[in-house]
Amino acid sequence: MPTRSSEVIPSSPREIVITRVLDAPRELVWEAWTDPKQVAQWWGPVGFTATVHEMEVKPGGIWRLTMHGPDGADYPSESVFSEVVKPERIVFALRGGKEGAPESRIEMTWTFEDQGAMTRVTIRQVYPTAEARDHMATTYGAIEGGKQTLGRLAEHLTK
Amino acid sequence: MPTDPLSVTFRALADPTRRAMMARLARGEASMLELARPFKISQPAISKHVKVLEKSGLIVRRSLAQQRFCKLRAKPIEDAMDWMETQRKLLEGQMDKFEDYLKEIQKKGKKHAHS
Repeated sequence: MPTRSSEVIPSSPREIVITRVLDAPRELVWEAWTDPKQVAQWWGPVGFTATVHEMEVKPGGIWRLTMHGPDGADYPSESVFSEVVKPERIVFALRGGKEGAPESRIEMTWTFEDQGAMTRVTIRQVYPTAEARDHMATTYGAIEGGKQTLGRLAEHLTK
Repeated sequence: MPTDPLSVTFRALADPTRRAMMARLARGEASMLELARPFKISQPAISKHVKVLEKSGLIVRRSLAQQRFCKLRAKPIEDAMDWMETQRKLLEGQMDKFEDYLKEIQKKGKKHAHS
């Protein structure tokens, strides 16, 4: 029985990585990720919907979309793909955030590993600067985070 | 350079020596001597790192019987971990949505195949 939680890979303080095995073949995962019509149906945090204005999945290609938050606010963003390796890997730099608020900059890498009928999907999110990370914190700051123990920190730091 | 607590904490942690020191202190209080032992760097360099951690509020120092001891302060670390946890939850939510979507289209695909 596959669980719904991902593995969290310890990383540097400016980087968050999660990985999960999804029950879908890699070709299907790739299609769902690179077809703008499909992307509009699943992109964004829980409770958000998305409108894709433009999406050209190739190195140097532009991807413009607007996320619509549960509070009615819009979150426009523009990304540039830097790496597109079918069907393994997509890297892009995103600029955007809540309308009217300062922009966040994030670099995201999605990798897809073939595991037979399933696919291991890994998302790596990097904040290029401390400022970018702080914008992110302000933008989504209202979302409640859980408490961590110092033991877990020790683990996190020694790896 | 941003001076909000989160930025200060992350800057202090953005160094492998200081992270190793914090990992040691997460197991309990340590004397300066103990803290320096695993590293092949000069005493002044050790002091510098300890000072950064102290100024950032990540550790406190006290003197006891002519020895100096360092102890970890939990609050800033907890705040930083909370923030990372929030970010992680956002990504988990994104992964959930992707997973649900993939399930849904496969179900639809099967239905089409049977009809």
